[in-house]
Amino acid sequence: MHARDGRVHLTVWSMWSGAEEQNFLKVLARYQQLHPEVVVENLGAVNDDTKTVRAIVAGVPPDLFSLSDPLYLGPLAANGALVPLDDRFRASGLKESDFIPASLRQCRFRNRLYAMPFLIDCNALMWNKQAFRDAGLDPEKPPKTVEELEEAAVRLTKRDGDRIVRLGLMPMADENVFTQVFGGVLYRDDTDQVTPDDPGNLAALKWYASLMEKMGGYQKVNEFNSGFGQAQSANNPFFVGKVAMMINGEWNPWWCHKYAPKLEYGVAPLPYPAAHPELARSTWLGGNMFCIARGGKHPKEAWDLLVWMQSEEAQILFAGMMNNVPNLRSALRSPVLRQGGDYKKKYAIFLDLADTPNAGCFPAIPVSNLYSAELNTARDLVLNGEKTPEKALRDVRIRVQRELDRYKVAASPTDRRLALSTHVSGRPLN
Amino acid sequence: MTARARKVRSTASERRNLLKGLGFISPWIIGFLVLTLYPICASLYYSFCDYKVTAPPHWVGIRNYVELFTDQDYFLPSLKNTAFLFIELPISLVLSIALALLLNQKLRGMALFRTLYYLPSVVPTVASSILWLWLLNPQYGLVNKTLEMLHIPTTPWLQSPIWSKPAFILLDLWTIGGGMVIYLAALQGVPRHLYEAADLDGASAWRKTWHITLPSISPVIFFNAVLGIIGTFQYFTQSFLITSPVGGPANSTLFYALYLYQNAFNYFRMGYAAAMAWVLFVLTLLATLVVFKSSARWVYYEGEAR
Repeated sequence: MHARDGRVHLTVWSMWSGAEEQNFLKVLARYQQLHPEVVVENLGAVNDDTKTVRAIVAGVPPDLFSLSDPLYLGPLAANGALVPLDDRFRASGLKESDFIPASLRQCRFRNRLYAMPFLIDCNALMWNKQAFRDAGLDPEKPPKTVEELEEAAVRLTKRDGDRIVRLGLMPMADENVFTQVFGGVLYRDDTDQVTPDDPGNLAALKWYASLMEKMGGYQKVNEFNSGFGQAQSANNPFFVGKVAMMINGEWNPWWCHKYAPKLEYGVAPLPYPAAHPELARSTWLGGNMFCIARGGKHPKEAWDLLVWMQSEEAQILFAGMMNNVPNLRSALRSPVLRQGGDYKKKYAIFLDLADTPNAGCFPAIPVSNLYSAELNTARDLVLNGEKTPEKALRDVRIRVQRELDRYKVAASPTDRRLALSTHVSGRPLN
Repeated sequence: MTARARKVRSTASERRNLLKGLGFISPWIIGFLVLTLYPICASLYYSFCDYKVTAPPHWVGIRNYVELFTDQDYFLPSLKNTAFLFIELPISLVLSIALALLLNQKLRGMALFRTLYYLPSVVPTVASSILWLWLLNPQYGLVNKTLEMLHIPTTPWLQSPIWSKPAFILLDLWTIGGGMVIYLAALQGVPRHLYEAADLDGASAWRKTWHITLPSISPVIFFNAVLGIIGTFQYFTQSFLITSPVGGPANSTLFYALYLYQNAFNYFRMGYAAAMAWVLFVLTLLATLVVFKSSARWVYYEGEAR
């Protein structure tokens, strides 16, 4: 709204809370210094995207909002709730080649850009050197291949009676990482088909299930798992040595520095199947993205802020505080982010690994969130021995494809525009 | 104008009173129409639509219903999971009545016991769910530690597809204090003279309970049973809060209302969720009707001829 002061008041909804919100506010404050003509008003802790969806449907969206779950991008874009950004992207002089390719790929839906990244996350393998010594493994030689990872994980697992006391590899919070490790493809946009049961994905699930079996059985692993402390605390199972290896994100060196400064550990690229060396240096991206909602009052000012967020200054400022990965290549290489204590060196390994051609991200399709949930359930059913990997993944394909196909026959673009005018207050789009 | 016509047409003052009356209850009327009746009707319409929330609904006939009843992977298991919870109803019924009977004794410090047993019902569901998540923890949980001390085999509870539902029943039985208080109030209302008469006849405590106490509080049992049925069908919060993945392991705690919620708010399948809501409504209605029909046989109202 234009308040009495005549300046544009830009409403931003962001997912961060607590100390992280303070970091984001510092970024906004810097923008404010540079652009006194705009007043940026941040509402933090919007970490439930369904709230934003309701605001959009009700016709009172914020001007700019972060998606705390990137899985909502596809569904929102498919239903015409977001402003496509391609034209603005071209006009603003941003260059595609300046970005980590996957960081823009995860913001695209049907080849159109519906969001802009603001820092991303990537994964690497972290290993506890003392645990390696305990198990008679060379602490300076992390596993390079999936086969070596499996062997190490089994050797590193320690039992007391039938109880696990140390687990070789921490169970994944996001098992999709392994689809990337095995070169699996979750979706083919040339045919608009979901492919949860393609050979790579199937191999990944079979491998993961057999690893769980070899580490003591999923049930036992899960029991052990349930006693883990919070990740962001001194009770993090990796920090206290309950797990010897984990595949996790770039924020860990900072946390480890804070909560377990004495821990001896290393960071290495994700392993690859020995038979497929071309899959080396893979990673799975997540991260923060910002969207402009249809029906927002200040799309231009919102876009200007988004463009500034892609500047080296903004990226380094925020990444330095958050210990996340810049999505801008020049910021990624900036020495500023690599200066400081030992943990910054480990963080820098993540920075070096992020810009890889083997980076994957969850596909943005109209049913991303359904797809992801179905995949998680399917894996859970397989690990609990209720379904075979083949059947579980085939069932996912059938169920998700059926929903996906409905978006093809559903409302044509004109219908969708009509839909919006009934949902959104009839303001001109863009 | 005939007298008859005047009687049918209300007088000016009657009309004024009617308007005043309506005016006074209009907050409720408007609230009911806008916030209750309209959503109910709209959900019936949406249940026949493909409705993705951010786009307008379009009519698909009974497709949602057909899909519901042919879904072997989610809908039917969720219904079965919810059905399993009905085991809890008779258990909590017996336990809360027994507890109420015990707490109805005239002993010193009874107020303290009543408070203690009622206390868990005051704890918000969120807090108690998280608390039980730790009590049931397979490694550190007090439940398993106690079982170990008694040399009873332990189980992983919420980590096991077999024991996850019993874990929820256990969790809920902790809060039977709510029902107990209602029974306690009913017990206070059982006419003294009936017990006195039975005493004169030399009736045992068991006979007095069976022939006097239970019939006298049967309307309250009926009331609690109906509420219990409705509550069980709507079971949601505990599982939503403490299972990961939600409804896991292996979909064993994917209860009906939870799956409904996921469809509506996570998967953008509002039409499907609306159809689920209507099926839920019909199921609840049928179950309640059965209890109502049967109530003539076992619910006794004082002064009622038998």
